[in-house]
Amino acid sequence: MENNVLRQRVEELATRVNGEVEESVGAIILKVKAPYIIETLTGAKNFPDAPCDFLHDLCGLDLVDHLEVVYQLSSLSGSQCLRVKAIVERENPVIDSATRIWQGANFLEREAYDMFGITFKGHPNLKRIYMWDDFEGYPLRKDYVIEPIEERNKVRQRIEGE
Amino acid sequence: MAVENTQELLLNMGPQHPSMHGVFRMVVNLEGETVTKIDPKLGYLHRGLEKLAESRTYSQFIPYTDRLDYLASPHNNWAYVQTVEKLMGVEIPERAEYLRVIFGELARIASHQVMIASTALDIAGWTAWSYAFRDRERILDMYEMTAGSRLTVNIMRIGGISAEPPAEFWPALKAFLDDTPEMLEEYYGIFLGNEITQGRLKNIGILSKELAENLSITGPVLRASGVNYDVRKAAPYSIYDRFDFNVPVRTGCDSYDRTLIRMDEIVESIKIIKQAVRDIPEGPIMAKVPKVIKPPVGEVYHRVENPKGELGFYIVSDGTTKPSRVRIRPGTFINIQMLPIVALGWKIQDVVAIFATLDAVLGEVDK
Amino acid sequence: METLNNLFLIIAAAIRSLFADPHSVWANLTMDVINFIIVVVIIVLAALILILLERKIAGWTSQRTGPNRLGPRGWFQTIADALKLMGKEDITPAGADKFIFKVAPMIVFSLPMMTLAVIPYGNGMAPINLDLGIFYFLAISAISTVAFLMAGWGSNNKYSLLGGMRAVAQMISYEIPLLFSLLGVVMITQSFNLGTIVEAQKTIPFIILQPLAFVIYIIAGLAEVNRAPFDLVEADQEVVAGPFTEYTGLRWGLFFLGEYGNMTAVSALAATVFLGGWQGPMFLPGWVWFWLKVGIIIFFMMWVRWTFPRIRVDHLMHLAWKVLLPLSILNIFLTGFGIYIYRFVMGG
Repeated sequence: MENNVLRQRVEELATRVNGEVEESVGAIILKVKAPYIIETLTGAKNFPDAPCDFLHDLCGLDLVDHLEVVYQLSSLSGSQCLRVKAIVERENPVIDSATRIWQGANFLEREAYDMFGITFKGHPNLKRIYMWDDFEGYPLRKDYVIEPIEERNKVRQRIEGE
Repeated sequence: MAVENTQELLLNMGPQHPSMHGVFRMVVNLEGETVTKIDPKLGYLHRGLEKLAESRTYSQFIPYTDRLDYLASPHNNWAYVQTVEKLMGVEIPERAEYLRVIFGELARIASHQVMIASTALDIAGWTAWSYAFRDRERILDMYEMTAGSRLTVNIMRIGGISAEPPAEFWPALKAFLDDTPEMLEEYYGIFLGNEITQGRLKNIGILSKELAENLSITGPVLRASGVNYDVRKAAPYSIYDRFDFNVPVRTGCDSYDRTLIRMDEIVESIKIIKQAVRDIPEGPIMAKVPKVIKPPVGEVYHRVENPKGELGFYIVSDGTTKPSRVRIRPGTFINIQMLPIVALGWKIQDVVAIFATLDAVLGEVDK
Repeated sequence: METLNNLFLIIAAAIRSLFADPHSVWANLTMDVINFIIVVVIIVLAALILILLERKIAGWTSQRTGPNRLGPRGWFQTIADALKLMGKEDITPAGADKFIFKVAPMIVFSLPMMTLAVIPYGNGMAPINLDLGIFYFLAISAISTVAFLMAGWGSNNKYSLLGGMRAVAQMISYEIPLLFSLLGVVMITQSFNLGTIVEAQKTIPFIILQPLAFVIYIIAGLAEVNRAPFDLVEADQEVVAGPFTEYTGLRWGLFFLGEYGNMTAVSALAATVFLGGWQGPMFLPGWVWFWLKVGIIIFFMMWVRWTFPRIRVDHLMHLAWKVLLPLSILNIFLTGFGIYIYRFVMGG
């Protein structure tokens, strides 16, 4: 029942931000383009009767032809959940930072930057968080080349040989 | 209040430091003993679990989840297998659900005991530390009886649970549950009731309700700031809607309440386990799951109430035997964000205590 | 019993009688050397026994086994540890102030030797019978502050420096209530001489006349020797090991010896001033009584250490300046008042 209210709100929001509404395994997904993200998130935060005002998670996602930033929104006052997906280009992945809305996005955006190379405009301290500062490449992208197994075996043989 | 001709001391705490709970590192600016800036540096235990998941099959990834929050490994297994089950639409047998609840809540108790112990240790209460570890040992023994290992238990499977607890498990569990009130009294007596402890923890590191919500804090830390939110109640997963338990909430917002709320949660966990033991039906412990797990194309997000915060798994499946993307939402990784904000202006001692009450486990923070 | 009681005095007299003139310079010098050796042996033995005892008590309070592998019930553990420490490489950090760095542990170790020299271990058994015993004791023990600061500064390590600074703040603050708590006893006995003070406790130990002073002394004494709950100087959760962070091998061992020596010295003074020193029922020799009393206080200190968590740094200062100091002044006032009433009643 509540899901219907939420669904209605999401559809209203979707028309405002040129988004698409999808559904997968019981969850409502709102797909928007990167420039609309702040408007979408603010809108979702202020839904009149089912506010999705708690940023639960934020992560990157590589779909080969484009990247996505996935926001899992929920609320501390109800069971409503909304998944917002922002489509960013692969070549020039730039999106507005959500830290202005939720301070909690700080580390999460740094992680997405670290793993996918997505630049968050307006982030207070956009640096790599897990990998070291001069690390090259973005490990969770699909085109990231992990060390081929032959290379690793060479190292292994050398260590075992000694 | 800076005096002229003084200089701030830049202190590098960690990754090798007695109170950094593993390999956490923070660069601290000190004005005398007062902290003026904290810069947490993560990644010393980063193993790239999300990347590893992409080259493992769905079942192969279960043992890796043990290494997330290694103090409550059944819970991580549980979160992951439930996510996969949700994606595949598998119904699991009743008995398995009850066993999962029992092991999950045991893990919660063990994790909270370690939290109490390590908080005690971080303010030099050595004896309280050894008391809590002494009692946690009994939970580890119960793990060992059932699953064969003590820390990284790897007990859950997609579709059920790996092993039926042996006959000696149930009396051990009963004895443990009966002894727990006495244990808690002991912790309170030696540690939390102590005047010095209260001086060290009360009114230190205030995390206001608004800030907690804004910072996406979850778990006991959130509830100690006066927010009544627990996934087990708000969006019940597994069979939590069948049990009668309370969500402990405290409004002190300080280090002391963040510690005390763990004691309350142990009491509630005991209640849940008692009900689960009473109601557990006979039956199979594994559902009929195909040998090769091949979920349909789609994506699913599932979150559970981990002892330290909410643990979420976001799995994107492309219809093959390996996930296209596994996203782990670690609770303490996000909770740790409060440290540079809340701990400012306190003494370096208090920062250590605040960090302890966050109960960060670096396996989960660094993934 | 009389023989046993005066055993050491008889031995001393025997040694002196080996010389033609028992009070010649050479005889005195020999006795001084022997006394010196005895004090060193006391410190080393105290450290060896106390470290093991500490670990046993720790195990007992926190319900674990403690050392139990080496020798019968693990009694040789500290000896093995000491041997291991001697074999360790002595590292001086590159950036250290070498002279200060090296000299600090020696000072820390030598101070308890100097203080223990004035304690009367039995009737007439003070190695040095100083008229200003208490005064000397407090003056010497105050120097250890400097040694800790030297270690902290000389190591050129930020944790050491923080620890050194804490040591200065803490030890200077607690020096004052410590001193004031002893003044009541001095007022009653009209003497700084430790021997006289023990003699004055023939009928009634001063802990009964000065209970408040005793409590203040124990608290301030704990802080003075940096024992938990006042071990902020070497708080390993915050400043790793404080001034000792950079020390290795025997130098670090010297700090350890110094710490346990200081603890013995503070307990010995407490036993002398408040518990009646070697005075006790005659079924045990005086020096046994003395060490029993010291042992009780040391046990109490260890018990406290393994029970209480560490105090906060501002509470530490608060306790010293706002609680202990006024209380000790009050105690001096009450003592004076009591002495006046006593004189009034007795003197008519």
